[in-house]
Amino acid sequence: MRVRKTPSNRLKKLSPMLKTLETLSKLSAIAAGVLMTLITVLTCASIIGRETIGKTVPGDFELVGLATGAAIGLFMPLCQLQRSNIIVDFFTARVPARINDKLDRLAAFFLAASFLLLAWRASLGGLNSWQTNSSTMLLGMPEWYAYATMVPGFVLTAVVALHQLAFGFATDAGH
Amino acid sequence: MSGLSLAALVLVLMFALMALRTPIAIAMFLSGSVGYVMQTGWGPYASFMNSMAFARFASYDLSVIPLFILMGQFATQGGISKALFEFTAAITGGFKGGLAMAAVMASAAFGAICGSSVATAATITGVALPEMQRHGYSGRLATGTLATAGTLGILIPPSVPLVIYAILTEQNIAKLFLAATIPGIIAMLSYMLVIAVYVRVVPGHAPDVRADRPRLSGKLLVGLAPIAVVFVLVFGGIYGGFFSPTEGAAVGAATAFLAALARREMTWQKFKACFYGTATSSAMIFLIFIGADIMNSTLALTQVQTQLVGLIGGWNVAPIWVMVAIVALHIVLGMVTEELSIILLTIPIFFPVVMALDFGMPKESLAIWFGILILMVVSFGLLVPPMGLNVYVVNGMAKGVPLSESFRGVLPFLISDAVRIVLILAFPGIALWLVKFMN
Repeated sequence: MRVRKTPSNRLKKLSPMLKTLETLSKLSAIAAGVLMTLITVLTCASIIGRETIGKTVPGDFELVGLATGAAIGLFMPLCQLQRSNIIVDFFTARVPARINDKLDRLAAFFLAASFLLLAWRASLGGLNSWQTNSSTMLLGMPEWYAYATMVPGFVLTAVVALHQLAFGFATDAGH
Repeated sequence: MSGLSLAALVLVLMFALMALRTPIAIAMFLSGSVGYVMQTGWGPYASFMNSMAFARFASYDLSVIPLFILMGQFATQGGISKALFEFTAAITGGFKGGLAMAAVMASAAFGAICGSSVATAATITGVALPEMQRHGYSGRLATGTLATAGTLGILIPPSVPLVIYAILTEQNIAKLFLAATIPGIIAMLSYMLVIAVYVRVVPGHAPDVRADRPRLSGKLLVGLAPIAVVFVLVFGGIYGGFFSPTEGAAVGAATAFLAALARREMTWQKFKACFYGTATSSAMIFLIFIGADIMNSTLALTQVQTQLVGLIGGWNVAPIWVMVAIVALHIVLGMVTEELSIILLTIPIFFPVVMALDFGMPKESLAIWFGILILMVVSFGLLVPPMGLNVYVVNGMAKGVPLSESFRGVLPFLISDAVRIVLILAFPGIALWLVKFMN
């Protein structure tokens, strides 16, 4: 079992497309990190409020839930870009690299298809929730917010995987 | 097609995709989707998928996972590990193999504020491996020790796999953490014992004790302050009844960040590295969540779980042997695939089976005991060839040590792990005593 990471001696000449995808993926990860920081601050504020003046931040559970959903979507692209999703390479350890590259591209295709499916269905789910005016219990926030925040991360992940399918992986793009 | 044969088909498809290098999560997602559509048609599957991401992920409960990961990242980047290792090295300096024992103790202490084994292994290896190599430790002992000690990251609470188990089975995270404490400390002590025996029985792997070894001093103690503050705040808060474990994770992330700031270790670069690390680790886990979710919904439709409970209930064997069989199955599965995915996939199947067994203990105790056993199995799988993730991580950081040497170095520790699993199987009280005591 190996968590594959792109080596640090990256190719100097990344294609503009890949460079853009990398920037976007890192920005997503930072945005998700900022959301986690906000969750941290919100939770600490709620605890301090509860232990001192007996009041928590109103709707803190709902806000944390919403932020978690958005963060999970935004975590995904960088993970795929850096090939950190866990694969089993035990059975293909003796297979020539050329064939493994083909298999990895096929896997990237499967992943892209899965994420496009997720993005498509979550968009429809969001539309549905918008039409039916579903909202959270305490704050009355429209639930489609949560759908809308998850979809961009899913789409970007699919695009990253499609790029890997078409142009290979950053580590061997130079061959 | 009958439920059972459909379930078999879906599982075969999943393993085939995995073997062909499809990410484990996607293998579960695709084969689960195929099985779902075959049973219900496209319509119900499509509407299930419409709300799946929202219903599962926009959830307060799940925030605990990235928060504990973020806490570990801040601890990792915050430069706490160096001071910690210097301290433990001063404690064990008088023993042969002392630096290896120090690495074990440092990993255990680091594990008390970090919930990931890979992060713990990588962090402690970063500070301990150069020292061990400089003092003439063999690559085998050094890497074997560090890979093993890394599992203390999850064996000692907080523990990400235990949190995942708690979420899957709707158990109390705080009680599971308590239950893991004594087995975790036993693990630490037995690893140190293994080192003491190993360096005496197999000569040439560790240097003799030096006269100019470092001694304990007040200055070394000060270095421990950040880790102690984080630990006391998080666990004092949880067990003092001030906040829930999820809130504790947020407090932990905040204090670990402040501790790193106080040590003036936090640069914008490191801050970004924390976010990137949190993103990739969390994404990996949550993608497996998505895949396992579809897979389990599909298996639930085939009713294979209910059939399994009935089937095993019909056997006339003592409950303990069913438990032993489940643990053994997980160890075997853990050898060929990745443990976290295994848990997410098998716990929804086996948890009802276990809960239907009669061990003469309350259901809650049974659930806690099973959780601790599963945690032991996961940590075991992180070390066992051919796929011990921790061994790969540590070996990757050690230049010039062949992978086979690292796996050899892990072997003596695996014996102590196996003994511990048998002990906890035989004496559930090891895990349950502290939970009872704290009630």
